[in-house]
Amino acid sequence: METYDAVVIGAGNGGLTASATLARKGLNVLLLERHNIPGGAATSFCRGRFEFEVALHQLSGIGTNEKPGPLRMLLDKIGVMDKLEFVPMNDLYRVVVPGQVDITLKPDKDEIVKELQMLFPREKEGIEKFFDLVWKVFSEVIGVFYFKDPEVSSKKYPHFFQYALKNLQEVFDQCLTDPVLKTIVSPYWTYMGLPPSSLAFVDMAAMLFAYTEFLPYHLKGGSQALSNALADTVLSNGGTIRFNCGVKKIIVENNKIKGVVTENGDEVKTRFVISNASKISTYIDLMEPEHVPQKISDELKQSTLGQSAFTLYLGLDCPPEKVGLNASTNFIIGGTEPDRIYERMQQREIGEEDGMLLTCYDLIDNNFSPKGCSQIALVTLKYGDCWLSVPPEEYAKEKFRIADSMLSAAEKIHPGIRAHIEEMEIATPFTHMRYLGHPKGSIYGFDSYLRNSAFFISNRSDIKGLYNTGGWYGSSGFQPTLESGVKTAKALIREFSAQQEGVR
Amino acid sequence: MKKEIIEQIDGYWDIVREIDASRKYGSDFKDEKGKVKDYINRLHPSRIQMRVLDIIDETASTRTLRMVPADAPLPPFIAGQYITVFVETGGIRTARPYSISSAPNQRGYYEITIRRVPEGLVSGFFLDKVKPGDVIQTSGPQGFFYYNPVIHKKKAICIAGGSGITPFMSMIREVVECGLDREIRLIYGNRSVDDIIFHQELTWISEHFDNISYIPVLEIPPEDYSGKQGFITDDIIREVTGNTRDKTFFLCGPSAMYDFCLPELEKLEIPRKRLKKEMYGAPDNIWEYPGWPQGLSQDETFSVIVNNGKPFKARAGEPLIKALEKNGVLVPSLCRSGECSMCRVKITSGKVFQPPGVPVRVSDRLFGYVHSCVSFPVTDINIHI
Repeated sequence: METYDAVVIGAGNGGLTASATLARKGLNVLLLERHNIPGGAATSFCRGRFEFEVALHQLSGIGTNEKPGPLRMLLDKIGVMDKLEFVPMNDLYRVVVPGQVDITLKPDKDEIVKELQMLFPREKEGIEKFFDLVWKVFSEVIGVFYFKDPEVSSKKYPHFFQYALKNLQEVFDQCLTDPVLKTIVSPYWTYMGLPPSSLAFVDMAAMLFAYTEFLPYHLKGGSQALSNALADTVLSNGGTIRFNCGVKKIIVENNKIKGVVTENGDEVKTRFVISNASKISTYIDLMEPEHVPQKISDELKQSTLGQSAFTLYLGLDCPPEKVGLNASTNFIIGGTEPDRIYERMQQREIGEEDGMLLTCYDLIDNNFSPKGCSQIALVTLKYGDCWLSVPPEEYAKEKFRIADSMLSAAEKIHPGIRAHIEEMEIATPFTHMRYLGHPKGSIYGFDSYLRNSAFFISNRSDIKGLYNTGGWYGSSGFQPTLESGVKTAKALIREFSAQQEGVR
Repeated sequence: MKKEIIEQIDGYWDIVREIDASRKYGSDFKDEKGKVKDYINRLHPSRIQMRVLDIIDETASTRTLRMVPADAPLPPFIAGQYITVFVETGGIRTARPYSISSAPNQRGYYEITIRRVPEGLVSGFFLDKVKPGDVIQTSGPQGFFYYNPVIHKKKAICIAGGSGITPFMSMIREVVECGLDREIRLIYGNRSVDDIIFHQELTWISEHFDNISYIPVLEIPPEDYSGKQGFITDDIIREVTGNTRDKTFFLCGPSAMYDFCLPELEKLEIPRKRLKKEMYGAPDNIWEYPGWPQGLSQDETFSVIVNNGKPFKARAGEPLIKALEKNGVLVPSLCRSGECSMCRVKITSGKVFQPPGVPVRVSDRLFGYVHSCVSFPVTDINIHI
């Protein structure tokens, strides 16, 4: 029987950085991936002469050489920075609320404040206050969590203690009044999935802070380049990767990891498993019910499935300017009531009253598409249920119908897109479910309510030797999941080393 | 962070109460067990067990296999898509893609139509050995060669060569049987009248439905023949098409047809967005491609080592995946035309030749990955799978 120091289930962002970290430490690691390519959502696919980015829109935490962000430092440590080429985005984002506002913000706090104060002179103080709070609260979060201050007190970190468990709406109520203004500063709620009325203010602060201080980035070759570089690091450090090889079972005995069984029926012996599979797959599909710790069952009960997405990947036979695109990240928002937009995420229909993200990488990367061409990713969040109820026979037709109405909505702002489409691929919640194996196609894991935040749920599995990584066990998104893999690998290495010491 | 500290954060106890309530009413997700798989299998099963119900002779060299599912209902497909059939014959485990020729509205069975390929391992197996009642394993429906109502014109010019008719047969049958508001003009090239697959059915349909036209083009026409002859030239296409602007072009046929028809189509200045080509296997004349190493014979053999195992020989003119399969190395594959990336392998040393335009991801190229179905060894190579 094959034996490994550790087995990692799934080559998503977390599984990859975890495997790379373990392999670099000299552990004999086996990474198992169902798909034929590493990355999970961090991947790309080709259609015709285009290569489409699947999931990465704005990479956070990179920063510059002079002022490196946490993710740059992490990737540097793993040894992949020299294999990657990052391109900073000039804009934070553009927000369009048809008939009300069309504004592009630069990734610079002072500039944003100044510009918004000019547009909303009556809210001058509130704008100042809001952005000050964002920076103050998040700076304190950094002190408490990143630098792990041993002496945390409400005296030393007053903003943290006041705001760490507030939602964004509560802070809005203290600072801003104009719904258009609130819409301009908060489109990033769709990067987390919850509207301001339930989104943690800290989460919004983290995004505004990270993207502004360290700039949003694009990656040449897309997120697949990062996934391939990480996989390469695993291999070149003696790790093993098996593609097209899913896991059927995690073997647990007496609350200890004993190994895994692959889909081919092969048993692999190990004392350590890192699961990058969804929390539901890990504990419901891969494990016998009697092995699931009470802690996990309780956590699952307080969790609800987050959104999936409906995405159009469009390859255009013209440059982006031809359809009026000048910003790489565009939030097209059909109104200033986020709760209404959020509610519509339960239904399949997509129209002008919805919110959508339109990303065009060609504006910052000349080689992204074939010469003279460009590509657009048009995304809107949707809960999976409304798609799972479509009868199989109706599925293709429904997919085209919704794609058509989404495109019509986008064309209200950028006419001419349709006439230039050379390649089109449509991803529904079904598609995400198929490729990620996530229940209902959820792309962010569970809804990120405060009750599911790190304050209330630890990443511990309560099974000896079982570790977790990825968006289902903490924050989702590229930077958090890449970081979570390293963090969990380090915890595993500590226990592994302690056991080795014990043996000696 | 210590619990005593977290408890001091404003609003902590409200959330604790929320947790208590949600745990009381929330789901433990036990009923999600196996559901992802179940849902996916309804639309995209990775494998289908099929029973051959009937074998229909189409021409002297072509047969249609009508297959019914052995267990679960068939997943729906879009006219133009293919399935990959997995076979073991002559001691070799391999796979071949075949477009589904039956209509998608026919939910009870799939039909694939197979023409004999000279010395073809798999086509020979299907034409000579398979009989009704046999069970065959296939993939679920795959592929991107279909009419997309969001961007394609309602009028289609379909250009087929030989067995390239199969996806169009599915499209035409669907349009006719479902009364769809679309128009198809089919230009269908064959060597002789006996080679035409579905000739009677196509003739009948075109006579009874105004929105379907059928224009056979014969290389070697019979004596009293008054139809189009020769190859499918720009003149023929222009005459059939009329105004090109309101039409989308679909092409499916062997590489010789593409080699001839694509330059012809260029004369009509059809932009890429209105021209869809189906993949049709690896080129069978790769050594004639520009960039092929000068003086290298297609019969030259090179040594291949997989995962530091025992070396075996592979022929330069044969796709790498075939050499791997002949030597018992299983590489998953679907389209076998370079498109789907299933047979992606890493070349750790040595070189392979890939025809231009193979859609390999940019970063895959950087890290040495190739699609083995359209890669040809031109030196000794080491592979990591």
